[in-house]
Amino acid sequence: MMFFLEVTISGLMAGVMYSLVALGFVLIFKASGVFNFAQGVMALFAGLTLVGLMEKFGLPPWAGIMATIAVMILLAWLIEFLILRRLVNQEHIILFMATIGLAYVLEGLGDVMWGSDVKLLDIGLPQGAVDWLLDDYNLYVEKLEVAAAVTAVIMVIVLAIFFQKTRIGRALRAVADDHQAALSVGISLRTIWVIVWSVSGIVALVAGIMWGSKSGVQFSLSLIALKALPVLMLGGFTSIPGAIIGGLIIGMGEKWAEIYMGPIIGGAIENWFAYMLALVFLLFRPQGLFGEKIIERI
Amino acid sequence: MFYREAGQFKTTYKSDQALFPIAQDRYFVIGVVLFAFLVIPFFITDYWANALLLPFLIYALAAIGLNILTGYCGQLSLGTGGFLAVGAYASYKLMTSFPEMNLIVVFLLSGLITALVGIFFGVPSLRIKGFYLAVATLASQFFIVWLFNKVPWFFNYSATGQISVPPREIFGFLVTGPDASPAITYLFTLTLVSIFALLAKNMARGNVGRSWMAIRDMDIAAEIIGIRPLKTKLIAFAVSSFYIGIAGALLFAVWLGSAEPTEAFGIDQSFLILFMIIIGGLGSILGSFMGAAFMVLMPIFLKNFMVDGLGLQPAFSEHVQIMLMGVLIIFFLIVEPHGLARLWQIAKEKLRIWPFPY
Amino acid sequence: MSPEPVQTRIFEEEILSVSDVSLSFGGVKAIQNVSFDIKRGEIRAIIGPNGAGKTSMLNVINGFYHPQEGLIRFKGKARRRMRPSIAAAQGIARTFQNVALFKGMSTLDNIMTGRLPRLEKGIFGEIVNVFLQAAYLGPARRSELEQRKYVEEIIDFLEIQHIRRTPVGRLPYGLQKRVELGRALAMEPELLLLDEPMAGMNLEEKEDMSRFIIDVNDQYGTTIALIEHDISVVMDLSDRIIVLDYGRKIADGTPGEVQSNQAVMDAYLGVPHE
Ligand SMILES: Nc1ncnc2c1ncn2[C@@H]1O[C@H](COP(=O)(O)OP(=O)(O)O)[C@@H](O)[C@H]1O
Ligand SMILES: [Mg+2]
Repeated sequence: MMFFLEVTISGLMAGVMYSLVALGFVLIFKASGVFNFAQGVMALFAGLTLVGLMEKFGLPPWAGIMATIAVMILLAWLIEFLILRRLVNQEHIILFMATIGLAYVLEGLGDVMWGSDVKLLDIGLPQGAVDWLLDDYNLYVEKLEVAAAVTAVIMVIVLAIFFQKTRIGRALRAVADDHQAALSVGISLRTIWVIVWSVSGIVALVAGIMWGSKSGVQFSLSLIALKALPVLMLGGFTSIPGAIIGGLIIGMGEKWAEIYMGPIIGGAIENWFAYMLALVFLLFRPQGLFGEKIIERI
Repeated sequence: MFYREAGQFKTTYKSDQALFPIAQDRYFVIGVVLFAFLVIPFFITDYWANALLLPFLIYALAAIGLNILTGYCGQLSLGTGGFLAVGAYASYKLMTSFPEMNLIVVFLLSGLITALVGIFFGVPSLRIKGFYLAVATLASQFFIVWLFNKVPWFFNYSATGQISVPPREIFGFLVTGPDASPAITYLFTLTLVSIFALLAKNMARGNVGRSWMAIRDMDIAAEIIGIRPLKTKLIAFAVSSFYIGIAGALLFAVWLGSAEPTEAFGIDQSFLILFMIIIGGLGSILGSFMGAAFMVLMPIFLKNFMVDGLGLQPAFSEHVQIMLMGVLIIFFLIVEPHGLARLWQIAKEKLRIWPFPY
Repeated sequence: MSPEPVQTRIFEEEILSVSDVSLSFGGVKAIQNVSFDIKRGEIRAIIGPNGAGKTSMLNVINGFYHPQEGLIRFKGKARRRMRPSIAAAQGIARTFQNVALFKGMSTLDNIMTGRLPRLEKGIFGEIVNVFLQAAYLGPARRSELEQRKYVEEIIDFLEIQHIRRTPVGRLPYGLQKRVELGRALAMEPELLLLDEPMAGMNLEEKEDMSRFIIDVNDQYGTTIALIEHDISVVMDLSDRIIVLDYGRKIADGTPGEVQSNQAVMDAYLGVPHE
């Protein structure tokens, strides 16, 4: 029983990581309809930049984080200026391809600027097991993962407040429903895009920090982007709660499958299990858990 | 006025329905094909075959396959790498289990097997659409690669987990294995690719192609005018996978000679081929060739340029190369989102009215 | 407008009947207890203000919407739900309120798609067909040429020879509507449903379209159900008219009868409900 609990918790914690990437993705998809394949690479890029800045200039963590946020905002602006505004009325698949191109650019850029070896990211997040759980219940839970979960919760709350209470947030929601409506709020579409991409960049930075503190900043970081995709399918491309809950379900399901099913059918099934889970689920609910129901009209 | 269609009035629907109704197009294509069959084989070297021509032809075939599904039928797929793997492993199992089997039969069967797998993974497309479907196709990609890694039967229990092609002949010429001559491998591949490109063109311009495009352009309207979506999509999945399967078999057996699933058939392959059809032109057979040529040539140019031209470190230049590739892709999408095939068409239209632009 | 009202034509055989059909979307009652019939060979108009449920009615008839209640009887066969492709195969074709052409294809190819349901085969036949087409062999080539011939007749009939090769996305709206009619005609329908075929057209285009509708009805004997807002067009063209308002049928009869109906006048003059 203890073991089952441990598996479940570690699955949930891994799921939080997926959720963080999925979250940034949902923000962009909701506001601009762009399927941003580069979200995972953005996490890698943000992590690399943070490590690089801290190493090169000996910045303390908080200053490094501030500087990286500035870089991510600059990046969002560049993406809008160089790519999005030039592809504004193109088909979705073209924009999707452009984000794959962007993923290549960021991956190459990160490596060119900061080198390609695995970097340790230490901004002083707690390491090791949570003591009292280990002592009293013999349950092994990483402090870092708890921190990640707490951060994720805080971020969702902050985003919720941002969307509900601020003028920009309301404009963002309007633009998701109807591009014309956003204009009536008096904010240009371009500004809105820069803002969502910046917010997603910051979300990517958080994901990068969490993942990087756990296993170092390396290319595999961009692979968690691939794990975020089934999360999105499950949760619906446009739903923030979907991203969170989808992440938890995928993380948990994946761990259970790995532990209880893996040995039977040959291991390493985490590569595809999440996708199959999402696929089967989608067959019954094509719009995902929380996605808007697809109404076909003519 | 070298190039014109005015003046060539079609007197019958038959000639109007011909493959290349415009004479100049016809001559051009015939010229290229003759050159490819009768001239190149005399000059081909190992380097030209293995670095350029074989990958170009094989990727063009795979791109045609993906274009059928994505460009013509509108079903975005990221599972191409997996289907290439199915073709490759099918050919390997067939060649090693039935050493006497004719190579042509091996390749056709490999295509058919891949088509069946494609139909299986195509079924969800009835309910799942757009990007949801694209992500769903990743399930097949990862599952298939995993399967070929995990189940030793597929790689005949070889210790390395790799598959290596046995030497096989056709009409007394050695086509596979390290000793095959570049002219033969090239001609074999060229023949298959030319035939299948022609067949694809025929499908695309006939009823089958129209039903695909109808589903692509507006699936609800298509259904209301009586096109059955599931049937149409499954045919697209089957034909597309058939092409990709044969490309996978060629890629493994004729070009690389040995393969290992994660490297040769990973998701990067899926993206590479997707780029080919986008840069070449969605819904264009000619575009599939152009896109393949572009994506095969670009890395070679970039590498030569940076390592030999600028004297950069190979490792460093690899990163720059990835970056530049991304930049070029974005640049192309911005400049001509409809691909090289469209540029070519525009150029032809210019030529048609040249030198009198009115 | 085009030819003077035809003297009252008499039609005997019922081709379609709709009985007590109700359809709702969540809380929205799009159609409530509507019954009517369409006789073979007639031009039947459906009119009513926006949101009255006219388009939904066509969608019910061709199987795209499934009503919660009621029956549809087409050529004697009754059903409540069916797939649109089956309705198409049985001889129901239509055009759409918002043009629903295949944007990436030429006029010719769009109209050719209308021939597709005619060529339906079983699974095995389909597979053979794919191979034949790929090789462009015998039967495939012959059938392609036959269809082309049929479609060219439609193109001549609709006077759109000059845009045969143009991608429909580039055509002006009026021509797109015409191409859409062509696609429906290519299906050789027994019942043709036209959803606002003249919306957004100028007078000349409307006259052309009216002429086509009359000619189709005349030359091919096709039964037509027509949604149209331009009352004068409706009065000219149709044999009988159904009036819908808020999902209910409020009148049904010849143009003369409908014109003198008080409820209809109220609906059109916007007399507040209740
Ligand atoms: N697919 C649908 N989902 C929800 N509501 C619909 C749908 N189709 C039609 N409706 C509603 O049904 C009512 C009738 O619409 P419609 O048939 O289009 O009217 P008309 O064609 O007479 O203008 C409207 O209130 C419309 O909003
Ligand atoms: Mg309507």
